[in-house]
Amino acid sequence: MAQRIALHPILGVPEKGRPVKFTFDGKTLEGYEGEPIAVALKANGVMVHRYTKKGHQPRGIFCAIGRCTDCVMVVDGEPNIRTCITPLKEGMKVETQYGVSPLPFEEQGCPSGKKGDGDETV
Amino acid sequence: MKRYDLIVVGAGPSGLSAAVEAAKRGMRVVVFDENEKPGGQLFKQIHKFFGSKEHKARIRGFRIGQQLLKEASDVGVTVILSATVIGMYQDKELVVRIGDEIHHVKGDSILIATGASENMVPFEGWTLPGVIGAGAAQTMINLHGILPGKRVLMLGTGNVGLVVSFQLLQCGCEMAALVDAAPKIGGYGVHASKLARTGVPFYLSHTIKKVEGTDHVTGVTIAQVDSKYQFIPGTEKHFDVDTVCVAVGLSPMSQLLKMAGCKMVDDPKKGGQVPVCDERGQTSIPGVFAAGDVAGIEEASSAMIEGRMAGVAAAEYLGFMEEAACSREEDELTKDLDCLRQGMFAPKNKGKKIDKTEEGIPLSNTLLTKGYLADDEVEAFPGFTHRVGVHPVIECTQNIPCNPCQDVCPKECISIGDNLTALPVVVENAACIDCGMCVASCSGQAIFLVDEDKGDGTAEVTIPYEFLPLPEKGTEGYALGRDGRKLCPATVSRVRTAKAFDSTNLLSMRVPREFAMKARFFKSGNAADAAGEVAG
Ligand SMILES: Cc1cc2nc3c(=O)[nH]c(=O)nc-3n(C[C@H](O)[C@H](O)[C@H](O)COP(=O)(O)OP(=O)(O)OC[C@H]3O[C@@H](n4cnc5c(N)ncnc54)[C@H](O)[C@@H]3O)c2cc1C
Ligand code: SF4
Ligand code: SF4
Ligand code: FES
Repeated sequence: MAQRIALHPILGVPEKGRPVKFTFDGKTLEGYEGEPIAVALKANGVMVHRYTKKGHQPRGIFCAIGRCTDCVMVVDGEPNIRTCITPLKEGMKVETQYGVSPLPFEEQGCPSGKKGDGDETV
Repeated sequence: MKRYDLIVVGAGPSGLSAAVEAAKRGMRVVVFDENEKPGGQLFKQIHKFFGSKEHKARIRGFRIGQQLLKEASDVGVTVILSATVIGMYQDKELVVRIGDEIHHVKGDSILIATGASENMVPFEGWTLPGVIGAGAAQTMINLHGILPGKRVLMLGTGNVGLVVSFQLLQCGCEMAALVDAAPKIGGYGVHASKLARTGVPFYLSHTIKKVEGTDHVTGVTIAQVDSKYQFIPGTEKHFDVDTVCVAVGLSPMSQLLKMAGCKMVDDPKKGGQVPVCDERGQTSIPGVFAAGDVAGIEEASSAMIEGRMAGVAAAEYLGFMEEAACSREEDELTKDLDCLRQGMFAPKNKGKKIDKTEEGIPLSNTLLTKGYLADDEVEAFPGFTHRVGVHPVIECTQNIPCNPCQDVCPKECISIGDNLTALPVVVENAACIDCGMCVASCSGQAIFLVDEDKGDGTAEVTIPYEFLPLPEKGTEGYALGRDGRKLCPATVSRVRTAKAFDSTNLLSMRVPREFAMKARFFKSGNAADAAGEVAG
């Protein structure tokens, strides 16, 4: 889907760190060290970063500068990490966030759209 | 508690400019910015700026950013990054969050230069992954080298929408359309024309009805709106896109000023709630200043001047500078700023209906609604002339404060005069030497070199070209008109690149003579079906 720019007509070749491996929901993916986690995910075609707590609605990158919190995920076990401004490191464990947990809603025992008090717009 | 002469919040063009001026006068200055890198919006702007030499015109935004950073480090400004200012009190105390730590700092003077945040309009499906802000698109492509998607629809035709759309095209995205609920394109006509000639359609008086997709965007439906912005049934149009980009305006991020108790005012011409400031940028609290987008949405060029004014004023406020010297500097800066605040897009003209240029020429209506000059409208403008031999044809038809075209021509073929907003005129009898500097330097990519008769039934048209791959000499293809329609077969006759052109390539193409004044873009490919169908 999404593609990295190999050569830009004005900016030339984008500067990138060394290639590193990380996992996304258990799958091993590759990205460049130091780039935002969200960019590495985008390069691998990942669009959905989290599902909202109340309505279980998908969210992905929206502002890309750390303001909207749409892109938050569970990173190395810690929820609510803004992946658009958090640099990627070798071996990071990145997980889709369901509400505030890495467990899909069914496993949390929380049927669709019934529980929780998450903010649905953010 | 750490104490500074001047604390600047925001390392964008205004904040950095202020810091430079203050540090130059011996003040102890610190700049906080929440980002990992300094520069604010500047580093995302890869196009050449408008203005005059004093405003760094024809230099690309990110290079202006590099220059400013160097200037700042040369005069000893400390920039602290990943530092978010979360509070400000009346006694000029700031609360800064750096990592997990909270710091308190005190400034004898403070400049708030926090810029602006993007506005959003809700529509069905607006939270779906794939709907992004225009700023996000810029951040992804220009800072991180990643495309937000393959095919994009842009909502908003202000300068941000226009500029970002062009940037998306440049890095290989397809632009499905630009859409705006307003009846007229909000940004510069020259920015719109760069898109239109490549075949991107504009839909004015239209807005998004629905974004489709379950987990991410797969399409979008737009529809026409009436004068009360209500959908007109039966006017729906659908586009298959994977990305919807929203550029519907910016709002000043003035919360810190409000928190500190500065007097605020709601000013729609400035984009929302802004502090009440004197002409040097001082708020109602003595020693607290505001500059740049936070004091009223404008441009980077004006933000830099406002920043310098605030920096100088802060120096005077704390006695680092005599009042007389300060006044002199402020007067100079005010002159520069006034120069920029002229023309039909000036803040004072926001919302005004203008239908003639300063010269009394009727504005092109096609430009305002479709993004291009109709063939019969362009003839009226003073940059559009017929000559024997190579000559510039200037399709810059709105009064914008800009003059690099006049500046760079070694033969004085192009004249704007002292009034920065006057339309460029092609000087009679001046001998163009085909050096190409005007084409490459025009911030609006609105200048073409035309040799209307090469003697073999063809004409040569030279266009600015900032896309990849760069066609080689001999490439066969077709020419597109200003409206982006396929016009006629064309062959690339020359391709020029030069350091002085700063990454703008000059592509010359041969077209049948009768298309000399119509052919304005080139696409390679089969010319056989070049008969009036919409390209791209
Ligand atoms: C797509 C696009 C195209 C444009 N094209 C042009 C053009 O051609 N010519 C032109 O002159 N202008 C152009 N502009 C406008 C120009 O970018 C802005 O007017 C200019 O950047 C404003 O400068 P600033 O210093 O006020 O704010 P910014 O550049 O926005 O910088 C403000 C900085 O403050 C930081 N900040 C905010 N709050 C805090 C806080 N609480 N703590 C710490 N840091 C904080 C921000 O992160 C940011 O780095 C364009 C803008 C956009 C979006
Ligand atoms: S090509 Fe050179 S000489 Fe001719 S008008 Fe442009 S800048 Fe002047
Ligand atoms: S033609 Fe001249 S005034 Fe118009 S955009 Fe180009 S450089 Fe600026
Ligand atoms: S996309 Fe908005 S915070 Fe990350």
